[in-house]
Amino acid sequence: MAILEVRNLKKTYTTRLGGHPVQALTNVSFTVENGEYAAIMGESGSGKTTLLNILAALDKPTGGEVLLDGAPMNAIREKDLAAFRRDQLGFVFQEFNLLDTFTLRDNILLPLVLGGKSVSFMESALPPVARKLGIEDLLNKYPYEVSGGQKQRAAVARAIITGPRLLLADEPTGALDSRSTEELLRVFGEINRFGQTILMVTHSARAASHAGRVLFIRDGEVFHQLYRGDRTDDRFYQQIVDTLTMLNGGERA
Amino acid sequence: MKNGFFPRLAWDGIRKNSRTFVPYWITCVLCVSMFYLMRSLCENPVLRDMRGGTTTVMVLGLGSVVIGVFSVIFLFYTSSFLIRRRKREFGLYSVLGMDKRSIGRVMLWETLITAAITLSAGLAVGIAVSKLGELLLTRMVRETVRRGFYVSGSGVLMTLILFGVIFLLLLLNGVRQVRFASVTALLKSTQTSEKPPRANIVLALLGLLLLCAAYRMAVTIRQPLTALLLFFGAVILVIIATYLLMIAGSVTLCRTLQKRKRYYYQTAHFVSVSSMVYRMKRNGAGLASICILATMVLVMLSATACLFFGSDDALNARYPREMDLTVRLQNAEGSEALPDAFRKAVREAAAEAGIGPSRVIDCRYHEIAGLLDGRRAVLNAADAEADPLMYDRLVNFSFIDTADYNRSADAPLTVPAGKLMGYSPRYPVEAGALTLGETEYEIVSAPDGFSYHSPTDVSAYPTVYLFTDRPAEAIAPLAELTDPYGRPMMSITWQYAFDTNVSEERQLALLHTLRDLAAQDPVMREAGSYGFSCRAAERDDYYASFGGFFFLGILLSIVFLAAAAVIIYYKQLSEGYEDLNRFAIMQKVGMTRQDIRRSVNAQMRTVFFFPLGLAVTHLCFAFPMIRKMLMLFNLNNLPLLLITAALSTAAFAGFYVIVYRMTAGVYYRLVSSGDPHAAA
Repeated sequence: MAILEVRNLKKTYTTRLGGHPVQALTNVSFTVENGEYAAIMGESGSGKTTLLNILAALDKPTGGEVLLDGAPMNAIREKDLAAFRRDQLGFVFQEFNLLDTFTLRDNILLPLVLGGKSVSFMESALPPVARKLGIEDLLNKYPYEVSGGQKQRAAVARAIITGPRLLLADEPTGALDSRSTEELLRVFGEINRFGQTILMVTHSARAASHAGRVLFIRDGEVFHQLYRGDRTDDRFYQQIVDTLTMLNGGERA
Repeated sequence: MKNGFFPRLAWDGIRKNSRTFVPYWITCVLCVSMFYLMRSLCENPVLRDMRGGTTTVMVLGLGSVVIGVFSVIFLFYTSSFLIRRRKREFGLYSVLGMDKRSIGRVMLWETLITAAITLSAGLAVGIAVSKLGELLLTRMVRETVRRGFYVSGSGVLMTLILFGVIFLLLLLNGVRQVRFASVTALLKSTQTSEKPPRANIVLALLGLLLLCAAYRMAVTIRQPLTALLLFFGAVILVIIATYLLMIAGSVTLCRTLQKRKRYYYQTAHFVSVSSMVYRMKRNGAGLASICILATMVLVMLSATACLFFGSDDALNARYPREMDLTVRLQNAEGSEALPDAFRKAVREAAAEAGIGPSRVIDCRYHEIAGLLDGRRAVLNAADAEADPLMYDRLVNFSFIDTADYNRSADAPLTVPAGKLMGYSPRYPVEAGALTLGETEYEIVSAPDGFSYHSPTDVSAYPTVYLFTDRPAEAIAPLAELTDPYGRPMMSITWQYAFDTNVSEERQLALLHTLRDLAAQDPVMREAGSYGFSCRAAERDDYYASFGGFFFLGILLSIVFLAAAAVIIYYKQLSEGYEDLNRFAIMQKVGMTRQDIRRSVNAQMRTVFFFPLGLAVTHLCFAFPMIRKMLMLFNLNNLPLLLITAALSTAAFAGFYVIVYRMTAGVYYRLVSSGDPHAAA
């Protein structure tokens, strides 16, 4: 069953002074199945961020629609959007976006507190998530006291503690060193095996090679897609790199 | 480089940062105009030539010093905020290849522009307001108004010098900060993350302890003189305690709240409590300043308003009749002859002026001071244990002949033979034995509703009046006592006061006649210490000094209020900038606009009404002290003081709420939009 369905998505930006309209997304359509781990790749300016903002309900498309569990997202009322984001979606950002005034524990609990959950619920929800991400010992530390990789794992914990239908990750490895990157990707793979649907935007072939499927976006359109099938990470990585070379080469020709 | 490059760059910088510069400029204009106003009123001929004008001028001079000092502190506070916001911009200039020298030149131009604009605007406002102030003041002290503007040359000069120096210091401070910082430090200065503050329980407890000590002091003090002596000590304790409590106490409080999970993990508390921990560390000082300013305003307004509206009370207490003559009799032998001579001279002079004295008070007071402990008074200070609060026990005992009293009283008094009737306007005098030195007296209490006040009441410490049928007998054991220097301890004062039932002009004429007479009469000259006065003549002095106090109270209140408002505005703005990212993140994780509004409100309410609440508490505890100090001015009107205190508090709270609403709007617009340019 498809968790996410994107149909003919269009987004045009017009500058305030009425200059030339810029087409960020021309026509994007794809679906993400329940339990899938999909990556979206593209160069800067290809429309990745716009797409993610629309999926996160932070932005509205000019045309087309997005269905989550078969329900159109643009039907959600403005005032329910925040609650929808909180309950249905989880976010991981490149810059972690942890609040420096909170301990890691409080950062992770933030969506639950915003959702008005009880203290006992929070206390039962936190330990399994923290264990899964290996940050049980760091819960009382402040973001400035831990490494980038640990921060990002805390951010993942915050994203999944609500049990979201879809985890959206925007360049999650962008600010990490290679070791932390590997660790985070392993974590992503693991939570995906537990059934978490993940949609990751990245331009790192290494990161994308951990996904089950890679969509390539260019000039606001889904240009190509690759399925992992039963390839290993390394072979899949090779294939992604080849595809990227081909795409770039095609551009040059 | 082209001429005019630096001024233009400076002007651009000011324009782009107008949201931080405009309140800064307003602050400068405010300080300049208030300082000029004080100075010019000091020099104002209308004021100086007014009756009692010298007192008012002195009080205003003192006020100008206060405002001067305050301006220095306050402008440093606001400009430090400005510098913090500008550092990034200067860092960018550095990256683009501008050396520190040139940045210094830009800052110099900025300061020059600021100084030129704010000094001229401030002086213009000051001159306009000084005319208004003159009108208001003359009205309050009930003088006739004079036409025309008055510009005080020396006032302008002093203002220019003071603020010139302040601006120079501000510039040097700014240049120092930019010069000693690296480019990267400048660029990052607005976004350095810092350690969460630890709760310092020791400091918090110390603050609480100091506050309790100060409150105890204020509440337990019984006498005006001690209140005056200890008031400044108490004020300093309260100030220190307020700072400690706001900085350390509030962090401790937040930490404790964080430990209470049921409270902490609620949408409304979660964000506000955790960010308040940081906020208090940095802004505790600001909040404490607001609290102290608020307390000052409340104390000043309620006390001076009470003085002003109670000036007739104080006047009538001191001068129960229209004409008043008091003579200090040197020794007991002269106590018969002198009054007779005075009385005769006064009556003759009055008759000559066609005035028949009525409601005559003709009374002698035999007085001795002592340190009262329970029912026993030590008359010789050397016999008492030295103790800093000694003055708190000082009491003046005043013996009055019942016959003297009954001559002018509406209801005659009867005192049982051989006993004394004790009465004090300050506290109830219980019946029973009372020992003065070695002599024991039997005291009966005064009838209900009895009230009395003599011109000898020194107001700094209480007087106990002892009415007796046989004064000579009662006084005899005390009359011979002498102090270590051999001077008699008992003093004798004679009062001769009466109403005239004629116009004030004729009263004043009689006063002059009597004063001339006394200067020429050898018997009166011999008497040495005497005073002729007239209520009508004294009234102007009372109004002038009390009106001056009230005027000063209002003026200083306005300055302090404005200062508080500016501190609040800066706080909101700087916090808004800091919270921008935080709320942007929270919106991404699913915080609704409603949540933000609720969280902001919860935070604001606490941060705002905490200082106000503490200030009102301070006022409540300062109340007994204020009351005692007002007694020094012969003013003992509790209902009036309660009313002025309540009205001052209400007015201040109203003002505070308005500032709160306005600045909360700025803050909310800033954090909910996520756009640093939205607040304007």
